[in-house]
Amino acid sequence: MDTLKRLEEAVVRGNMDEVKDLTQAALDANLAPLDILDQGMIKGLEVVGQRFECQQIFIPEMLLSAMAMKEGLSLLKPQLEKGDAPQLGKVVIGTVEGDVHDIGKNIVSMMLTGAGFQVVDLGFDVPAQKFLDTVKQENADILALSCLFTPTRLAMKDVIQALQEANLRDKIKVLIGGAPIDQKFCDLIGADGYAPDAPGGVQKARAWLGK
Amino acid sequence: MKEEQIFQDRRARINELRAKTERMSHRQRAMMAVKHQEPDRVPIDNWMVPEIQKRAMEYYGCDTYEELQRFLGVDFRNNYGPSYVGLSFKKFPDGTVEDLWGVRRKVVTYGKGTAHEGTYSEVAESPLANMKTVEEITAYPRWASPDWWDYAKVKEDCAQYHPEFCVINVGDRLDRTAQLKPMMYLRGIQQAFVDLALSPKIVEVIRDRIVAYFTEYNHRVFKAADGEIDIFMMGDDMGGQTGPLISLEMWRRYFKKGFKAFIDIAHEYGIPVMYHTCGDVKALIPDFIECGLDILQSLQPRATNMDIKQLKHEFGKDLCFQGGMDIQHTLPLGKPEDVREMVKYAMDAAKAGGGYIVCTAHNIQVDTPIENVTALFEAYHEFGAY
Repeated sequence: MDTLKRLEEAVVRGNMDEVKDLTQAALDANLAPLDILDQGMIKGLEVVGQRFECQQIFIPEMLLSAMAMKEGLSLLKPQLEKGDAPQLGKVVIGTVEGDVHDIGKNIVSMMLTGAGFQVVDLGFDVPAQKFLDTVKQENADILALSCLFTPTRLAMKDVIQALQEANLRDKIKVLIGGAPIDQKFCDLIGADGYAPDAPGGVQKARAWLGK
Repeated sequence: MKEEQIFQDRRARINELRAKTERMSHRQRAMMAVKHQEPDRVPIDNWMVPEIQKRAMEYYGCDTYEELQRFLGVDFRNNYGPSYVGLSFKKFPDGTVEDLWGVRRKVVTYGKGTAHEGTYSEVAESPLANMKTVEEITAYPRWASPDWWDYAKVKEDCAQYHPEFCVINVGDRLDRTAQLKPMMYLRGIQQAFVDLALSPKIVEVIRDRIVAYFTEYNHRVFKAADGEIDIFMMGDDMGGQTGPLISLEMWRRYFKKGFKAFIDIAHEYGIPVMYHTCGDVKALIPDFIECGLDILQSLQPRATNMDIKQLKHEFGKDLCFQGGMDIQHTLPLGKPEDVREMVKYAMDAAKAGGGYIVCTAHNIQVDTPIENVTALFEAYHEFGAY
């Protein structure tokens, strides 16, 4: 089996050591870093998403896959940055103010990193102003907001409003997620998109940046 | 109770509906439903965050929460267990406070400066987070002990509500009988999930400590209560919005034995068991039934596979249900008509043959307008009648 297929499968199994070894092997074999990313990592991520959706894998397995992707990317990243390939986008991510739940956000953050995005993770209980300042400072392409319960999701609206007031709304895509988030809520607050799980969020981010 | 006309008018609808349907005590009604019999109306339980309790009290002119509960026709009263008499919980300069397990907690405020401001006590630091070996974890000096509680008042605390109300021994949200939840507090959520996948020995040593603690603690609680507890409630979130957090195989491997042990203790004392879990846990329900569970609580309707009609059809013969009212969308964002429709749907689906206690799938949250709270309780009384 070729290295990239094995890498894909190692991502699916969430085997961190294997993902690192296979990423290194692929680099040693002079495979293009972007191919390693797209045909190894991202393919694996797609399978993880499908399996999660049909309840074949659950949070522990998805978490391991996310951690493994992130590890693999740490080897790939210097090569990706060296090449002429266009850089993937920059994402600012965090759990909104008043909410300290971050397991979902962490998985998304790791998977985005593993998919080659530059990720600025602000952690949890993040005030709107902090999101705004970071988006400006980092010149981010995507802002990803997470929450677990319903009163705190209203803070997502405050963040979007802050972007509007700063005339930044048109310059950035806002991705939202978390247990109480659905398309209806996304439309209600005027976010650009929502995803029901971490792999879905990564796919959406990739699609927005034309990947 | 305030008697000004405005409050009497606001209370009139519920009073009128109750006068029409109610023919038995709260406790009789609740216990009939638990035994899969049809009482006069579907029993009502009530979960509200303190801010909503206060708002509802103000709206209906109630001076105390107990007055509100009585007016709303809530059939259950909670017992929070024995009194803590262990060493006082250490306070730290950063404002965090140790809990029963030595987990540092802090109060987090959300919706600051808005109409929906509220607080929750959240984990700030997990004491076992950085430990790598079973030995280190075993040597942790702060494992909770059942000796830290004084059980003498449990009987009296429960009996004060008898014979009128049905008493649920609920414990506290943060110390409720569970396995995975304290493990997450102690280890950190992310590390706990990694452990489940990679470090069975670590999972087992933590779990065994937790199960041993609750086994002995609950024995003492039930013994002290001397027949005054009507329902025992445990709670351990195993469901997410779109499926169980862990696989059925993993649940069986790590948690089934403890789950059954907790149920068996309550049953030894003749107490039916209610189990709270958020989210989609449908795949686990046949095992819950096999372990002897009496009442499944939450039935979060926006989670996948948790439609009450379907659950009643598949499992209603073996299991009672408590919950089913949506706090994620309908209550905070819907109109009173949507709330009414939701109550009617659940009642039509689940009340036949008893076995249904109506309640929200979790606390009514602070983002819920009072019109929807009143619509909810009015609909409970309107559509709950047999």
